[in-house]
Amino acid sequence: MKRLSHIFLVYLFLITMLSGCAEQLPLEDMTMQLMLGIDLSKDNNLIFYETNPVFSKTSKKSSETIEVKATSIRDARNKFDTKVKGFVNGSKIQVILIGKKVLEHPDWFSLFDTIYRNPKFSLNSRVIAVDGPLSSIMYYQSEDNVLLPLHLKTLIDTNNRRNSTVQTTLHELHRQIYEKGITPSISEIKDGTQLRLTGTSLLNHKGKHVHSFNISETALLLILQKEERGEVSFTHFSLPINNKNELFHQDDISFSASNIKTKIKSAYHQNKFHFDIKINMPIYLGERMFPYNMSKNEKNFKKMVEEKLTKQFEDLIKIIQAKKIDPIGLGLYARAHHYAEYKKVEDEWGKALATSTINVSVKVDLISTGNVK
Amino acid sequence: MNTYIKNEITLMQFILVIHGLQVGVGVLELPRKLAETAGTDGWISIILGWILTTIASLIIIQVMKKNPHGSILELVTQNFGKLIGKLVTILFALYFAALSVIILIRESLFIQKWLLPQTAFPVLLLLLIIPSYLIVQHNIRVLARYSEFIFYISLWIFIVYLIPTKEAHLLNLLPVLKDGMKPILQAVHSTLLSFIGFEAAFFLYPFLRQKQAAALGIVVANTLSMLLFLIVTIAAFSFFSPDEITQFKEPVINMFKVIEFQFIERLEIIFLTYYIFVISTTALPLLFLTVFCTSKLTGRQDRHSRHLIWFFSALFIYVLMSSPTFQQNSQWQGKIANLSIFVAYLLPLFLWMFLWVKHLFQRRELH
Repeated sequence: MKRLSHIFLVYLFLITMLSGCAEQLPLEDMTMQLMLGIDLSKDNNLIFYETNPVFSKTSKKSSETIEVKATSIRDARNKFDTKVKGFVNGSKIQVILIGKKVLEHPDWFSLFDTIYRNPKFSLNSRVIAVDGPLSSIMYYQSEDNVLLPLHLKTLIDTNNRRNSTVQTTLHELHRQIYEKGITPSISEIKDGTQLRLTGTSLLNHKGKHVHSFNISETALLLILQKEERGEVSFTHFSLPINNKNELFHQDDISFSASNIKTKIKSAYHQNKFHFDIKINMPIYLGERMFPYNMSKNEKNFKKMVEEKLTKQFEDLIKIIQAKKIDPIGLGLYARAHHYAEYKKVEDEWGKALATSTINVSVKVDLISTGNVK
Repeated sequence: MNTYIKNEITLMQFILVIHGLQVGVGVLELPRKLAETAGTDGWISIILGWILTTIASLIIIQVMKKNPHGSILELVTQNFGKLIGKLVTILFALYFAALSVIILIRESLFIQKWLLPQTAFPVLLLLLIIPSYLIVQHNIRVLARYSEFIFYISLWIFIVYLIPTKEAHLLNLLPVLKDGMKPILQAVHSTLLSFIGFEAAFFLYPFLRQKQAAALGIVVANTLSMLLFLIVTIAAFSFFSPDEITQFKEPVINMFKVIEFQFIERLEIIFLTYYIFVISTTALPLLFLTVFCTSKLTGRQDRHSRHLIWFFSALFIYVLMSSPTFQQNSQWQGKIANLSIFVAYLLPLFLWMFLWVKHLFQRRELH
């Protein structure tokens, strides 16, 4: 009797599991969004784009792109549904593109509410700012027919490894928006004659775009954030030696730096925050376009490099302070070490940072100068 | 009394049943709850809660030592008479029943929200209660083995959880004691609720084979849970900004959301599916204790499974007729919270004082 009832229970269990079969969804009936784009039209209407792969042998295109006018991401999904064959599914979005026109208005972040609210969304999608109209990128068709969303994702990831751009995922963006001691920075691309990465967009604490860093400035920013990965490569780095040539930059060197140590110390006196940033850079010389007696003048060479690097960091910080933003996250140091003082200014941290003093000093160790003298 | 000796459990099982009871669905929300009241200093509250829990659990063992061959139900019956004994049995049965209902419903709500949003709620509950029945209908030894087994096979979750900490910002934790002790003390209430479950020692003690090691066992169980809460909380505090962590209802799940491997992108789905096992080590002992009390009440120890069927049927019919929500479930949790604190932290103290005073009087009568 007992055995029988057990068998009955196991069967009941298995039958209950069958309820999952009723809601089956074949892949062909699904429209998997891989890329989502948000832009403003000329008359300030929100335009949403999505790109999804096409699973069809007869189709020449590997993906299709749709645009709709809508008020929010959810609203856009409903409107996408009326234009495509299958159910629109946002759980596989790899890349989210935002037009710079959207970023010029503060508080655009509220559009993203559904992404964090709906458990189906992945929080690893890369967020990218687009300089120029979004339509040219969304309908961009490369000659070898690669899926653009995957292309963009890889573009961001590999360039982040090369320290050319930040890697801001949806999760990281949420942190940077809510954290009062840091302002967001997201990757930036541009469509000219060819689609390319231009560097990093800097937003203020409300999300408004205030400045863009190019690729070499981004590398410096990553060093200050302690987020640099592997080797940081410096090229077209001209030194003050009189060796001008009109055609060839014969005052240039290139080098790479790895194992960079950045130390940030903070202090508070005279109603001001003070930050002392010490950067220790072991460098490997990769290119020197001019003759130089290294064994004799190594000290002088190091000094020239240090001075130029310090100048570059200082210029970067000047821009940050002028724009009243803090992409480095110095606010975190202020909060950790001067909590009471920081709490008073945390809502206007960018302004407080603009009035504080930031000193940078760079120390270079010349590890190797290569195989030739 | 025979039932206790027939179903002895080992010290390891004793430890892991208690630990399993403490670690369940609450851990997913713990960092947020602590951050809401005490900010990033919330981890200190865990240590304070652990100290209180250790004291309370040692008192429980002291109380149970007075009557090593019976559970708290026999102890109360012996000291206060049959009527009060029955009353206490009913109260305990209701208490454990309420806890099991809350956890089973909350577990199903989680599954529905994160994993199977299309499936009807009663179906999910049915899928939970059938395997639960198949385990709980047996004796405590089967249940203890189950808890031990689940503990060992779930250790990987913990290792994977630490992967996102490579993006941690330890600066978030500083300064320590930023707003003084007051918020930390306020958050101790939440941590005490996480430790709830060790009061099962009132019932597990007579089953334990090595009774001399009971105190050690319960301290190890509490310490194990404390270390887990502490690491989970500190990892979450350093990973999320203190300004954003209160935005996420279950920050622990969000940490899994961020992990991305080459071969798998939505790891939180796998984690949550697996975590159902971990939650089951909270729900199943509670279900067992419920029917243990009710079958004590009817005086027939072999009626576990029958009571269990009644209990599950009632629960299933209730769920068919009403549709539970997270909000309602949290309200219930809030209501039972104070009762839990009383049963786990104050009741042992009262009993201990009572037995001590009684002992004093008995000694005086002898002289």
